[in-house]
Amino acid sequence: MKLRLSSRWRHFMEGYLFVSPWVIGFLLFMAIPLGQSLYYSLNELKLSREGLIATYIGWRHYSDAFTTDIAFLPLLKQTITSMLVQVPLIMIFSLISALLLHRPSRGRMIFRGIFFMPVIIASGVILKKLLDQGVAKLPLFTESLYDQLNLFIPDSILVPVFLFSDKLTPVMWDSGVQILIFLAGLLTISASLYEAARCDGATRWECFWKITFPMIMPMIFVNTLFSIVNSFTKADNQVMGYIQTVVNSQNKYDYAAALGWIYFIIIFIVLTFVFLIFRKSMTAVEGRA
Amino acid sequence: MSVPQLSFIRKLANRTKTKHNRVALKSIRFILGTVFYYLIMLSLSFVFLYPLIYMFSTSMMRLQDVSDATVVWIPKKMDFSNYVEGYKAIQFWKGFTNSMINSFGSAIIQVVSCSFIGYGFARYRFPGYVVLTALLVFTFLVPPQTIVVPLFMLFSDLGWINTHYPFIVPAAFGHGLRGALFVLIFIQFYRRLPHVFEEAARIDGAGPFRTYWQIMFPLAKPAMLVVFLFSAVWHWNDTFEPNLYLLVPEYFNLSQLMAIFNGNASANVMQMSQQISSADAIGLAPTLINQIMAAVLLSILPIVILYLFTQKYFTESVERSGIAGE
Repeated sequence: MKLRLSSRWRHFMEGYLFVSPWVIGFLLFMAIPLGQSLYYSLNELKLSREGLIATYIGWRHYSDAFTTDIAFLPLLKQTITSMLVQVPLIMIFSLISALLLHRPSRGRMIFRGIFFMPVIIASGVILKKLLDQGVAKLPLFTESLYDQLNLFIPDSILVPVFLFSDKLTPVMWDSGVQILIFLAGLLTISASLYEAARCDGATRWECFWKITFPMIMPMIFVNTLFSIVNSFTKADNQVMGYIQTVVNSQNKYDYAAALGWIYFIIIFIVLTFVFLIFRKSMTAVEGRA
Repeated sequence: MSVPQLSFIRKLANRTKTKHNRVALKSIRFILGTVFYYLIMLSLSFVFLYPLIYMFSTSMMRLQDVSDATVVWIPKKMDFSNYVEGYKAIQFWKGFTNSMINSFGSAIIQVVSCSFIGYGFARYRFPGYVVLTALLVFTFLVPPQTIVVPLFMLFSDLGWINTHYPFIVPAAFGHGLRGALFVLIFIQFYRRLPHVFEEAARIDGAGPFRTYWQIMFPLAKPAMLVVFLFSAVWHWNDTFEPNLYLLVPEYFNLSQLMAIFNGNASANVMQMSQQISSADAIGLAPTLINQIMAAVLLSILPIVILYLFTQKYFTESVERSGIAGE
């Protein structure tokens, strides 16, 4: 017997068929593991001949993380502060780069190719480690330049500038995907908006703040989300590294699961804040090319 | 000559003068702006290319050059032996084959599965749609470390450790390394396509899957290219998951072998520096940085080549694939 469905139900069923692989995958590789890790984090696991034996201990692993573990909290604080410093820098830098790349000019395609290069080469762990060993320090900011400038500029200004420029290089290499997203966003803004503004006598500066900025607000939101998630899950993130050593060298699966959950909840809180900040400014959709 | 005529001529002269000035000023500003623009672009390009230049120049140096302060960029003698050493140290062919299987295999599978799922999300509205979309975003936000222990146990119960299944099977379900992001990219792309093609196909009697496979999937080439390149590159550079699931040296990929070589090399250097007498130490700093850099360059060479070939299409595709997600 053939099932007879109304066209509305058929539409639903087709949709479910397309989405079903993802839902199965979500259950197998996300929902069940998440539940299991929550279960581990609330129990004490002991390896025995019959396998893992779990005894319920409540929230003790969570309170341990904040009270007895001396390594976790400083690492967490460090990760969050570096995220708070880096994400705005990445946003500003990638927006400026995207605006520069958007400008019609000779050799723009070559510049684009070069700007996306770090996405390809600088995303590996080993390379990151090598870069930390001093490759990231630009030759321009060496001691000789420092000595030269020191004749004119006092130490108190020069040292922060040098420290800042040292930090800027990793920021630039981290912003490849964001530049890409901004560039794609800039290309969706219709040129007629700028022409109309020009006719009304708006300067370039005004055009940027009144047209470009509101129009790419959604991309700023997406990029902020991406940068935050990226900085939290990056290969050289120290909290991630710490959780991994707890698993690998100390074999404390239960405690590692608790740490993972604390970390995840903090990420979630940060993202909720970002979401609330951007909620009001996400309405500009008209005037796309 | 009457007064009004004179004032008229003066006015005219004034006008042409200011006009001339204005044009000159404009062209000066234009030239200055262009020069400034290219200065900025070139210096930024230098910063972006700097790691490559540094690695290349270091990899060509002999040990004497590495510690020689007078050698800054160009080594005194071109030397390819570092590449030979690095090639041996990271067992290039074995690692290369493993990396190719792992990253290109996963990337192709992710392109097919994420496109299929993304099409479903983009074109169908069904009960639970909002919840599933929220879960999709949620999946993107969960750090892999939170669920890694249960996943490892699952895969070891299935006997999948030291196989490629832990990478391929989640990828086939639209998960795996950043699978949610790829699904989102495809959703954005399919949403922008007009409905006309599908309607025509449906009227001609094609079912939903045939419509998707023969009409819509081939149209998604720009999004496919972006997802394929990202997926291949991220899999290629990833060491976290391979370190968990591939434990036998036969299965190590290039990034893992590179990490091991890096560790070994620094251990060797420690040993060397203990044995070395102070007289030798003045001339030669014990370091294998030149060999390490050569090995790193070799290990990323395949994806750099891939990028150079697809770069033009890649940047175009990004513009068209709606990665920006309005």
